[in-house]
Amino acid sequence: MFDWLFGKKESASIAKDRLTIAIMSDRDSMNELPFMDEMKAEIIEVVKKYVGVRAVEIKKEVHDDLEALSIDVELDPDEVKKIKVN
Amino acid sequence: MGIVIAVISGKGGVGKTTATANLGLGIAMNEKSCIVVDFDIGQRNLDMILGLENRVVYDLVQVMDGDVKLKQAVIRSKVNENLYFLAASQSKDKTVLESSKVEKLVAELRESYDYVILDSPAGIESGFEHTIEFADAAIVVVNPEVSSIRDADRAIGILDSKSQKVKNGEDVAKYLVINRISAEMIQSGEMLKSDDILEILNIKLVGKVPEDRGVIDASNRGKPVILDKKSQAGQAYSRIAGRLCGQKVEMKDIEISDTGLFKKLTGMFR
Repeated sequence: MFDWLFGKKESASIAKDRLTIAIMSDRDSMNELPFMDEMKAEIIEVVKKYVGVRAVEIKKEVHDDLEALSIDVELDPDEVKKIKVN
Repeated sequence: MGIVIAVISGKGGVGKTTATANLGLGIAMNEKSCIVVDFDIGQRNLDMILGLENRVVYDLVQVMDGDVKLKQAVIRSKVNENLYFLAASQSKDKTVLESSKVEKLVAELRESYDYVILDSPAGIESGFEHTIEFADAAIVVVNPEVSSIRDADRAIGILDSKSQKVKNGEDVAKYLVINRISAEMIQSGEMLKSDDILEILNIKLVGKVPEDRGVIDASNRGKPVILDKKSQAGQAYSRIAGRLCGQKVEMKDIEISDTGLFKKLTGMFR
């Protein structure tokens, strides 16, 4: 609205912001591991032996030099109730 | 034992072949034997930029297939006796390249020359992958423009996963050349600064080349712009070639226009 008064934002800084976001998401998709789906299925099989599973979520996280896989296993709520009863 | 450098860009049309020709000649001018190899099978251009298109008899695919010896196919430049050239095949397409044959050729080149510069095809497909696979280092050429920088980042990502050196647990050196810089546009905030590009790509800078009409004039004539001592781009390539030969050459700030205070002031208010 006040663009005409304060001058437009310089296009070079718009370019920098847009590139930073686009490249971050490009790199994320390249980091996806090829065996992700297979690993998920196997984890579900293992956990299922003991307790019902609703979903498994695996994420690759990068913090500076450290890379880690974070694995979230969401349990089936009905099954969780059974465990508590026992 | 020479060093093998792949010149890559991701996006086409950013001046990769021009950079290859000028850096090859620049290295030769530093008294090192240097061969430039056109890996852009099916779209050869390096011969035109070097002014050698009429001397091409055999190409690198014929060498790789064993039809001719390397020595038969290599052309020695008349401009500088340290510079050699191996042409791409024009009739075949990029898919003819095979890893094992590329590896053998690169090994033979490494034995014979101090510097081996491979001009990669644009894109990130198999032709590109074959060019970077056995290289010790890569020169990444970008323009200060969003699509070029994004594509370069993708190419660097593939280099980091497909390079033989990386597979062996070593690092592949990467050097950035920022081409077609307009000081005037940077001053007025219309073009990305080199610091911003380095921050985004996170690789080492080896040189900045200004936009220069002389580059097209030079390619019209088939005489690389580095031969024109007055050309700003030619001087920039000389400095980069010096750095690649291990000299300490100060990074010249070409992002400040020297066209006078008046122009700078008017630029601020545009």
